[in-house]
Amino acid sequence: MKTTPDNSGDVRLSGISKTYGSFTAVHPLDLTVPEGSFFALLGASGCGKTTTLRMIAGLEEPSSGTVRLGDQDVTHLPPYKRPVNTVFQSYALFPHLDIFENVAFGLRRRGIKSVKKQVEEMLELVQLGEQARKKPHQLSGGQQQRVAVARALINHPKVLLLDEPLGALDLKLRRQMQLELKRIQTEVGITFVHVTHDQEEAMTMADTVAVMNGGRVEQLGAPTDLYENPQTTFVANFLGTSNLIEAEVDTENGDDIVLKAGGGKLVLPEARCSAPTTAGGKVLVGIRPEKIALTHADEAGSIPEGRNRVTGKIADASFIGVSTQYVIDTPVCDEFAVYVQNVERDGRLVPGADVVLHWSPAHTFGLDAAQDIDAGTEEEAAA
Amino acid sequence: MEQYEPDRLTPPQVAAMRRSLRTGRGALTRRSLLRATAGGTLAAGGLGALSGCGIPAAGKAQGGTPAHDHSAQEKVVAFSNWTEYIDVDDSGKRHPTLETFRRRTGIKVDYTEDINDNNEFFGKIKPQLAAGQDTGRDIIVLTDWLAARLIRLGWVQKLDPANLPHAYTNLSPQFRNPDWDPGRAYSYPWQGISTVIAYNKKALDGIEVKSVSDLLDNPRLKGRVGFLSEMRDSMGMTLLDMGKDPARFTDDDFDAAAARLQKAVDKGQIRRFTGNDYTSDLTKGDFAACIAWAGDVVQLKADSPDVDFVIPDSGYMTSTDNLCVPNKARHKTNAERLIDFYYEPEQAAALAAYINYVTPVDGVKPYLAKIDQDAANNPLIVPDKAMQAKSHAFRSLSQKEETAYEEKFAKLTGA
Amino acid sequence: MSTLTEAPPPLAPAEPEKRPPRKRGRFTPYWLLLPGMLWLIVFFALPMIYQASTSVQQGSLEEGYKVTWHFATYWNALSEYWPQFLRSVFYAAAATVLCLLLGYPLAYTIAFRAGRWKNLIMILVIAPFFTSFLIRTLAWKTILADSGPVVHTLNSLHVLDLTDWLGWTAGDRVLATPLAVVCGLTYNFLPFMILPLYTSLERIDGRLHEAAGDLYAKPWTTFRKVTFPLSMPGVVSGTLLTFIPAAGDYVNAELLGSTDTRMIGNVIQTQFLRILDYPTAAALSFILMAAILAMVTFYIRRSGTEDLV
Repeated sequence: MKTTPDNSGDVRLSGISKTYGSFTAVHPLDLTVPEGSFFALLGASGCGKTTTLRMIAGLEEPSSGTVRLGDQDVTHLPPYKRPVNTVFQSYALFPHLDIFENVAFGLRRRGIKSVKKQVEEMLELVQLGEQARKKPHQLSGGQQQRVAVARALINHPKVLLLDEPLGALDLKLRRQMQLELKRIQTEVGITFVHVTHDQEEAMTMADTVAVMNGGRVEQLGAPTDLYENPQTTFVANFLGTSNLIEAEVDTENGDDIVLKAGGGKLVLPEARCSAPTTAGGKVLVGIRPEKIALTHADEAGSIPEGRNRVTGKIADASFIGVSTQYVIDTPVCDEFAVYVQNVERDGRLVPGADVVLHWSPAHTFGLDAAQDIDAGTEEEAAA
Repeated sequence: MEQYEPDRLTPPQVAAMRRSLRTGRGALTRRSLLRATAGGTLAAGGLGALSGCGIPAAGKAQGGTPAHDHSAQEKVVAFSNWTEYIDVDDSGKRHPTLETFRRRTGIKVDYTEDINDNNEFFGKIKPQLAAGQDTGRDIIVLTDWLAARLIRLGWVQKLDPANLPHAYTNLSPQFRNPDWDPGRAYSYPWQGISTVIAYNKKALDGIEVKSVSDLLDNPRLKGRVGFLSEMRDSMGMTLLDMGKDPARFTDDDFDAAAARLQKAVDKGQIRRFTGNDYTSDLTKGDFAACIAWAGDVVQLKADSPDVDFVIPDSGYMTSTDNLCVPNKARHKTNAERLIDFYYEPEQAAALAAYINYVTPVDGVKPYLAKIDQDAANNPLIVPDKAMQAKSHAFRSLSQKEETAYEEKFAKLTGA
Repeated sequence: MSTLTEAPPPLAPAEPEKRPPRKRGRFTPYWLLLPGMLWLIVFFALPMIYQASTSVQQGSLEEGYKVTWHFATYWNALSEYWPQFLRSVFYAAAATVLCLLLGYPLAYTIAFRAGRWKNLIMILVIAPFFTSFLIRTLAWKTILADSGPVVHTLNSLHVLDLTDWLGWTAGDRVLATPLAVVCGLTYNFLPFMILPLYTSLERIDGRLHEAAGDLYAKPWTTFRKVTFPLSMPGVVSGTLLTFIPAAGDYVNAELLGSTDTRMIGNVIQTQFLRILDYPTAAALSFILMAAILAMVTFYIRRSGTEDLV
């Protein structure tokens, strides 16, 4: 799969930062993208992900630090000397050139005379063989997107940079293109660095995701790691939904920590707690809504031992087909979200019913309570 | 109005700009101020005039077409003149002689400076006059050839001598009998304009210039001689130099003079033919010598010590700007009273003290001396006998001749 | 319009009485066109017709002019004044090329490099319009005066020897030569070149430059392959806005030129105002108009920007 054995497709950022006057867009950052991987930079707008990408492309000069491709230091090379190509947000196709010439642009600039075969092959790869002589504005958004990819890929860059490449497409097309891009990446084996604000997109496509916030990388890892074991409230809230409960450390019991919250006790495996714990200290306890089971209060006795429990009253229930989403009013959290698969529906679980929420302690995660509990939520984004 | 004063331009140059490119001979006041000129007027002149050419046959009514004279009931007279061609008080807004006239007669003068160029003005009033309509003007000021054309076309009214006692008595003999209006039945001069040779002493650098021949033949002046784009002035001076009388020349004489000028053009002797803008060429020394209007020279001399003039032995040309009453004017009698008023030597002196052209009124000198001794002694303003003797006028031309001569002259100047 | 009339009325049964107010709406576009049409008729069509009629008349001021369909006027005018026609085209073309060479870098700088100075530079570009055309042109007589510093410098650098040899200047002077006229035209029409160039350059998406750089184009190649082609609409409209008025101009030739630099505008002016040969003046105007129209059409076809102009 790897095109070259010497790791020259690695992207190594060490200590790079970018400041504009007094505003720091990217704080000093170390990051290594291994060759051949599909790497996503995920974050809300203004988090510094695009600036980081542009520093790799050479479109932005870093204020400090170095950019290396493999062992080559490219920090001060102009973009046209870097073996890197970019798929721009809204594509930046040349409106005066037809599709063929758009795709051939990079080859021609490097003095390659016979471009016809390569361009035709590349257009086949992105399934646009028929459109070669059309102008960009005659194509649909999805087609333009594929042209942008073809135009970059034909140069066999060591790294392909994608700046929100699917942002302008509608949902259905976006899904389709996600798979398509993943297929192409697998086929050509080039390192992809993909910038997006869409967590679902990042998780679907990338091998590794770096979640950025306020110019810093909050957490880096495989999508499942990030989801199952977020290290910060931002990651917990930005990737999917989390219920966060303020709790106090009661005792430590072997590998587990016992916590007090709203009069009850919760157990958290110490390995899943990213915050330092001392007796009496505060910790944020997190649990994903789909990990929780819901039992009517009348049958509370049937719940097995060893599970974390919280009692509450159903405030709202919405049926969305595969699952039902409940909002539960509990002493620890007044808007506890619970998603229950519609396998066997219990007719008593309607708003107003008293219920017990319970889940395996192994699904619980612990976060530092000094953080903003709402970081990364939509409420915060709207604020 | 003083919006913009380009620094390296002297007031006469600025005035020259203001007075358009072509035959403009508006006025040079002692305090020539730059008006924001209308390049626009100029540009629009070409197009607007082209499209506005209503050309029915000229209404031939020899002697003009009077309208019912409202002079007695309406104590006003509408006077259209060239820009800055009248006295102005210190405020720059009021015209003392016009106020004197009003105080004395009770007639209010509706004074408009809407003439910049004879040809342009002709284009402007032609449609109404050709259609036999009132132009809204009681007095207009036209250079003699245009006055002659309007008289020929029957578009101006015969004046009543009974209303013009001072004009009849004081008109300088030199202007009494132009062949286009013998005895001044239709027109009286407002000012006379002399055409002389001007030079820049510094640029001449000792070269002697005394005649048109010097201008045309001296190889040391090659490319530094200017002529006027006004056909009558340039051709008249050349005819005089060749010993012909501009008042009585033939087609052959004209052709010979044109050939003489053509030769000078061909060998690069004549730099260019200019309108009023020659003044800047002269003061900067781009023209070492040129044919020039005396009124400009008086002003240029005052501002630039290098500029002077010479009257050729063969004589010089004099033309006039004339007061005429167009057809259908509503206040003919009032107009005649205003004309007569300006032929009182005292009023003529007040005017002459302010503008630098030849006064057509006899007996002005003592009055002018009281206001401005220098002006009174300047032969370009009050010509003495010797000066008058050298003065020549261009003969009037028939329509056919005018077209033919202008065409030949245009070829000479590059079409 | 077609969708309005052809679309089946889905709600028709529910409200059968209600005829929608389509009738009035249908004529709205025409009412909106009316003022513009009237303006065109009064200030363009009528004068054109009048002028066309004048050009085939014969007569004199005293006898009046009559339409005699004397088309020979056209032929006579053309055979008499073709040198001035050619000269006008040549001078206007030279001035247009100069304007492009001077204006493009300036427009480029304003569009991409001027930053916060952008507005100031734009004002400076337009500033000459605050004074009259005539005064601006006359100022050049001071700048190019025979004894002035410009001519002096050119002379000591022997530039004038070269231009004299080429026939652009005469002897030791610049004024009253073809070069002065072309310079005057260039100066006076430069803003007409810069403004459309600036507009079309400014419209170019900056990411296209980045994309070109990203695809291995050096800055100069980016300019040649991306920026310049995309600014073609500005180049075309700028050259037209410069060439057309320059070809008909007479002020520059009048003030800065000499007898051998008279342009067709001067001829028309002389014919109309001095010689009073209205038919010839009208015919010359029509020939000029037709010639410009033909050249412009050819030019637009060639530059392939019909849809962009």
